Amino acid sequence: MKNNKVSRRQFLKSSSALTGASLLRISAPSMIAITQAACTAKRAQAAYKVLTVKEAADFAAIAARIIPTTDTPGATEAGVIHFFDNAFAAEMSKALSSARAGLAEFNAALTGPYPGASGFPALPTDEQDAFLTSRESSQFFDLCRAMTIFGFFSMSKYGGNKDHMSWDLIGFEGRHGAWEYPFGYYDAEHAKERFRGE
Amino acid sequence: MANSARFDSREAVDFAIIGSGSAGGILAKELSTAGFDVVVFEQGPYRKAEDFTHDELSVLFRDELLGGGPDVNGQTFRSNENETAVSGWQAPARYAQTVGGSSVHFTANFWRLRPTDFKERSLLGPISGTNFADWPISYEELEPYYTRVDWEIGVSGAPGPFDAPRSRPFPMPPLPIKSSGVLLEKGAAALGLHAQPEPHAILSQAFNGRAPCMKCGYCMYYGCEVGAKSSTLAAMIPLAEASGHCEIRADSAVFRIETDNNGRASEVLYYDAAGNEQAQKAKAVIVSANGAETARLLLMSASEQHPDGLGNSSGFVGRNLMYNAHSAVDAVFEQPLNDYKGAQVSRIIHDFYETDEARGFYGGGGIDARPLWSATPIFHALLGMPPGVPRWGAEFKDTMAHNFTRQMSIIGSTTSLALDSNNITLDPKNTDKWERPSIRVTYRDHEDDLSVAKFLRDRSTELADAAGASKFWRHPVEPTNGGEHLLGTCRMGDDPASSVVDRYHRSHDVPNLFICDGSSMVTSGRGQPTMTIMALAFRAAAHIKAAAASNQI
Repeated sequence: MKNNKVSRRQFLKSSSALTGASLLRISAPSMIAITQAACTAKRAQAAYKVLTVKEAADFAAIAARIIPTTDTPGATEAGVIHFFDNAFAAEMSKALSSARAGLAEFNAALTGPYPGASGFPALPTDEQDAFLTSRESSQFFDLCRAMTIFGFFSMSKYGGNKDHMSWDLIGFEGRHGAWEYPFGYYDAEHAKERFRGE
Repeated sequence: MANSARFDSREAVDFAIIGSGSAGGILAKELSTAGFDVVVFEQGPYRKAEDFTHDELSVLFRDELLGGGPDVNGQTFRSNENETAVSGWQAPARYAQTVGGSSVHFTANFWRLRPTDFKERSLLGPISGTNFADWPISYEELEPYYTRVDWEIGVSGAPGPFDAPRSRPFPMPPLPIKSSGVLLEKGAAALGLHAQPEPHAILSQAFNGRAPCMKCGYCMYYGCEVGAKSSTLAAMIPLAEASGHCEIRADSAVFRIETDNNGRASEVLYYDAAGNEQAQKAKAVIVSANGAETARLLLMSASEQHPDGLGNSSGFVGRNLMYNAHSAVDAVFEQPLNDYKGAQVSRIIHDFYETDEARGFYGGGGIDARPLWSATPIFHALLGMPPGVPRWGAEFKDTMAHNFTRQMSIIGSTTSLALDSNNITLDPKNTDKWERPSIRVTYRDHEDDLSVAKFLRDRSTELADAAGASKFWRHPVEPTNGGEHLLGTCRMGDDPASSVVDRYHRSHDVPNLFICDGSSMVTSGRGQPTMTIMALAFRAAAHIKAAAASNQI
């Protein structure tokens, strides 16, 4: 029998949970996935792990247009920026530099249409939306969109979805975990008809 | 488990079973409780029910139970042999790496085949350019084992108008009808079709000491944290371990089956949890690693005596991969369905199961209603939006908020024809985390398979309309580029020139090598293969026990 051993580098590459290009693969396949930065939902004023205050403000402002605050909470209230920060501090750490480059390019492009603006967060929301629309085909936008969705809807332990507010928004009572029949309108009506003997 | 056995790797055990899933878990239980010493190799970890979560990010998007995605397993895909296969964003062969295998994470839709499935080639005639063939066994031969699956694994259901004959009733009534099921019934009634309760490998009542379904809704791709899903982890492996004759060797990735000078399988080589090479001697080897892994392992076990792979004198190892093609129509209704609660499916339509030559193509399929991408929020946001809705902004948010509870999908699943050109081979460049050659999938559906999918999509569209959907939209039918149903790659048959195993799952080439899993299937059925894989495993176990008892292995 050969006395082989899988090379340590190759084996460690995947024997932990810190793997997977799959998280962002749907909209940004080239990006490395986020893993569990096991971390409870944070308050908005909490310090960031890797993002600067300015970077966090930019990402948060972009996320706030992807899932805006209307008469219901959006990415801002859910604390999605903490999901970004946790992800960039952990499994997406390798993607941080390219995300920073994307953000720099985003901010540089901003000075074209808005030469006097002090930054994306300072623009009125209609101008933010117009500018984001112009960047919609970029990989950077796809990254921000995917991370906003993941941060908004994933479990609070990943940093966003504070108090399960995204689940409340869409009517997903996911945190309870067990249900009794009937579940919805049509099966409840069906049960009533059967009770009446149809 | 106090009784769970530990075997010395230098002493030959009676059976080494590679894979602990739908087939491997049953074979382990059957052989160990009959007194044979068995070691089961599972490359994934030994998760228990309490280890399973509702973490959508981890399960659906980090491939937690799959052991990682293409960046870890290196799997590649191409649609024909003239292309260079590449890794995409999702592995083309998807199966769980965990004790219990894919029976842990499957959706638990649980259909028997019908008598016609086993003899369609005789009934319909040949289809040129394909390996369309009859099975070497009939429905009648398999029926007692389907019944054993019903009563030993635990199946909930009620008879439907087109069902194959059964020798015993379902052990449990079906799970409750959901709003999606009520709406499918409504559409079916309007169109003169017949909706019937979905059979599930999920307990609707307490059964064999196991708890019933709590209707949490996390079935598809998730493990069941109360053990109500009838995986081999929940239903079989505890019995195997309690026998005192079965060792589950988790975190153990087999990379080769060795043969001795007589051409018999003698030893299983594997990497242990630390990545060190180990070997286990065995009197007989059973490969139940799924239709992708089984083929890969046999190809990797090539030797001087078996130059094209172990048990591959026919050249059929890895060939005839069948995925089942699919179609999808999404529908939104006025009132909340809350279809994320409960098992995915509660009603199905089998009116189009059989081939109808008037349609002009081979094949048939089933239709079901389920939440699919309205089962969990991230899935919904990424895949469940109607056409024309912006990808971001207030309308995007409002659409999610309105539709999540009101949406369902009507899914068609089809036959797949067996083709030489659809196959599993070893990738020439990529390796997985154990440095085994990666699985390379070459696949392009037969045109008839896609015709069935389009036909079912058209019927599903009519159903959505007849059910009263306020809005519905069709997903394009595109060639299949991956899936969970990994069928046909070591087919069973009487002729050693055109099959890999005989009707008892014994290799035509190697007398003490058995292969039993989705790879054994000769035809694809209509999309829910696990019930048949489990029945085949009970049947194979009966014959293997008899052969071993009479010293014929």
